Amino acid sequence: MRLAFWLYEGTALHGISRITNSMKGVHTVYHAPQGDDYITATYSMLERTPDFPGLSISVVRGRDLAQGVSRLPGTLQQVAHHYNPDLTVIAPSCSTALLQEDLHQLAAHSGVPEDKLLVYALNPFRVSENEAADGLLVELVKRFAVSQEKTSLPSVNLIGFTSLGFHLRANLTSLRRMLQTLGISVNVVAPWGAGIEDLRKLPAAWLNIAPYREIGATAAAYLGEAFGMPAIYEAPIGVEPTLAWLRSVIEKINVVGAERGVPPLGMPKLNAFSLDGMSAPSGVPWFARTADMESFSNKRAFVFGDATHTVSIVKFLRDELGMQIIGAGTYMHRHADAVRKELEGYLPGPLMVTDKFQDVSKVIEEEMPDLVCGTQMERHSCRKLDVPCMVVCPPTHIENHLLGYYPFFGFDGADVIADRVYLSCKLGLEKHLIDFFGDAGLEYEDETAPSEGAPQASNGHDSDSAGSSAVSSPVQAATEADGMSWTDEAENMLKKVPFFVRKKVRKNTENFAREQGSLSVTAEVFRQAKESLGG
Amino acid sequence: MMQVPGEFPIIKEDNVTHSFCGLACVGWMYQKIKDSFFLILGTHTCAHFLQNALGMMIFAKPRFGIALIEEGDLAKQEPTLEEIIAEIKADHNPSVIFLLSSCTPEVMKVDFKGLAHHLSTQDVPVLFVPASGLVYNFTQAEDSVLHALVPYCPEAPAGQKNVVFLGSVNDATADDLRAEAEALGIPVGGFLPESRFDRMPAIGPDTVLAPIQPYLSRVAVKLERERGARTLHSLFPFGPDGTRAFWEDLAAEFGITVDLRDREQAAWEKIRKQTELLRDKKVFLTADTMMELPLARFLKSAGADVVECSSAYINKKFLGRELAALDGVRVVEQPNFHRQLEDVERIQPDLIVTSLMTANPFAGHGFVVKWSMEFMLMPIHSWSGVISLANLFVSPLMRRSKLPAFDKEVWLEGVMPSAE
Repeated sequence: MRLAFWLYEGTALHGISRITNSMKGVHTVYHAPQGDDYITATYSMLERTPDFPGLSISVVRGRDLAQGVSRLPGTLQQVAHHYNPDLTVIAPSCSTALLQEDLHQLAAHSGVPEDKLLVYALNPFRVSENEAADGLLVELVKRFAVSQEKTSLPSVNLIGFTSLGFHLRANLTSLRRMLQTLGISVNVVAPWGAGIEDLRKLPAAWLNIAPYREIGATAAAYLGEAFGMPAIYEAPIGVEPTLAWLRSVIEKINVVGAERGVPPLGMPKLNAFSLDGMSAPSGVPWFARTADMESFSNKRAFVFGDATHTVSIVKFLRDELGMQIIGAGTYMHRHADAVRKELEGYLPGPLMVTDKFQDVSKVIEEEMPDLVCGTQMERHSCRKLDVPCMVVCPPTHIENHLLGYYPFFGFDGADVIADRVYLSCKLGLEKHLIDFFGDAGLEYEDETAPSEGAPQASNGHDSDSAGSSAVSSPVQAATEADGMSWTDEAENMLKKVPFFVRKKVRKNTENFAREQGSLSVTAEVFRQAKESLGG
Repeated sequence: MMQVPGEFPIIKEDNVTHSFCGLACVGWMYQKIKDSFFLILGTHTCAHFLQNALGMMIFAKPRFGIALIEEGDLAKQEPTLEEIIAEIKADHNPSVIFLLSSCTPEVMKVDFKGLAHHLSTQDVPVLFVPASGLVYNFTQAEDSVLHALVPYCPEAPAGQKNVVFLGSVNDATADDLRAEAEALGIPVGGFLPESRFDRMPAIGPDTVLAPIQPYLSRVAVKLERERGARTLHSLFPFGPDGTRAFWEDLAAEFGITVDLRDREQAAWEKIRKQTELLRDKKVFLTADTMMELPLARFLKSAGADVVECSSAYINKKFLGRELAALDGVRVVEQPNFHRQLEDVERIQPDLIVTSLMTANPFAGHGFVVKWSMEFMLMPIHSWSGVISLANLFVSPLMRRSKLPAFDKEVWLEGVMPSAE
């Protein structure tokens, strides 16, 4: 048992609903107590769904348990009557999973035809959001995909695009744009917008594209085993990975094409991939070579996130922008080995694997990186520390459901990510000036410098009442907690240190003082620390 | 005349609805009682609910957390919370820890009372708060929190006659209510809850309990039984009509006769523009926060046509006056959401007051909506809340009427492919 405040991954039920809420004609019935369908709000609020998510709850009340009554058959009948779905997925919640009920039997009592029901009873104490979503997608593909003629012209399936996915719609648009440029059509996108009929025709495509390690890769692997379909699992994040991805798509399509006597596809001129069809498809390669970016080269970056984005962003920052990676981690225990393997040679130390945001926050506080790429939680941790942070992966938040076109995939995505790195970091030349002249008139007050937008709750309300007001200045907090006092003279010396490293210097100086057995930081201690720590 | 409870028909359905469980109360209760910590013994689901649906991102060290039951804990006899309690005390130094139950430990039959007793110390009591979705809806767990606080309200001696307001409101609203009572000559004993654990009001046989939130029937009954206090049965102080009745009836409890007719009239006058817009508008309230009855009563008084007022639970005695005032309105307890959808399509209400889960989908179906939860977060009590209350209903109507025409075939394409 541990004290938890916030979790990276949602529950199995959440994972299940991400798949079913993505799909046409598919409904989920939660066999759960009142309130477990809070999940509905994550769709209706974050994705602002203009229709009711296909989620109903078969309420389990304490009284029902005492009386041995189950409302599940009745709820299934109601759902069949009101929505007439092609398929209803029945899922228990954590509490009802303990009841050891036979959900198959209860479902059969509803009289709804068996082929329209799927009991998906995972152990919610063992399985989390992504594994549940990935697993259900495989179940559905297994159940419905049937062997058939391939499409006459080159086509692909896009697998793993799921409700509440990170920048989902923009990523899809970016991939569609590239595929269109190659002359390849999209057979099925699954589960986003797919119905049962779409799942049936998955095997008609020439190739599966499953860029998310977390959701969809297992379904693509199954389609490979069962129907001999080739697949591409890489995520086209960054310019070089996008070029490699395009070459791989062309190569695999051409293998199928050769068998079918269809003339091979070639790589178009790269400007064909640009938004206007006549420019460089991405600004990143030139940007990375500019003197402007050169001043970024000594910036130290820390990356933490899911498996797919952690791998891709580390590589992008180091390989394409030339930044230093001081560490990386993931909350996806299941994929930690794969991430470790992908990032071999990229990290100065071991990959951090944890689902405790406090641990990640501690590392950031110790390292004080110049840039953190993380989840919404790292953004919050970094705000406290005044460390630049950009959000690069799920869990999504209302701020990741914007209206504009901000893909992470493809050439378009490389530009978006590079822009965000640029806007998030303290700038290059400006930094030199500050280093040299101290504040250079650029002093900001800690409390009055909101970094990127006000904190937003996922329900769209300002959530300042939920905690930001309780955050005292981290500097004060640190000082109070450690009981280390500073003389006025030492404080004045600290003020001459550039403001964005001041917290780090304060901390290092206090550590130094403590090691020296000093109870307070005097001008002398400060000078000694500067000499022995450098800078 | 007081109407006899039970006289007004309530349609009861099967509770297939969209609303939150009792844990939702943590969202406002931890902020109200400033030296408290709210510890939920629960699962990943509880944590995910609080961080997502309630939108409570964790910035620093929140004064609530989840003692997370993981797979290995299922086999244990009783949960061991000593270490977690120690961690909380070290980090937050609370005066009181509320231990909230949730569904999984209730299914596991955890002895919460024993557990709370065992973890309590002289300095920091640990109080059990039943809150699970197996029994409690949304706001109902505030009732459980107040219930748990009763032993920490000192006994007021007989003859100490004053009013204790029942329900958590922000400090500004509390000040308003206190000032209004004092202006009427009503002595004020305090609020349950006050914003600090050590300042809970004294309650005794001559205390008049004035409920200011409509979901606190259990604590009122407990205080009547254990302390001999009297509960005011009036309208709730929302809107000019409710506020007048509330203060007149409360004053009467103290032998003070006041006539607030003019005050009510003036308040209606202040919101004349709003009531003109609300007149004959069809308003549908789905069940969510359990504030629905007084809100519907205000709407009815304001001239609106309340086509359905649904609520998760309706205590006929506690809400007796509201029910009487709603005579003729369709009132539903534990509604069935599928049936409501069909009725909404048929009736085509002008405004739907509904939960966070259902607001946007109703809007997508062309309806004007208002989040029911907003009524809990806005100062809508008493005279000073009248304009806010009226505006909450009117602003979505006004806003919608000003927006350009909307062709959903065009502007909703691709937003939710599963519904296309």
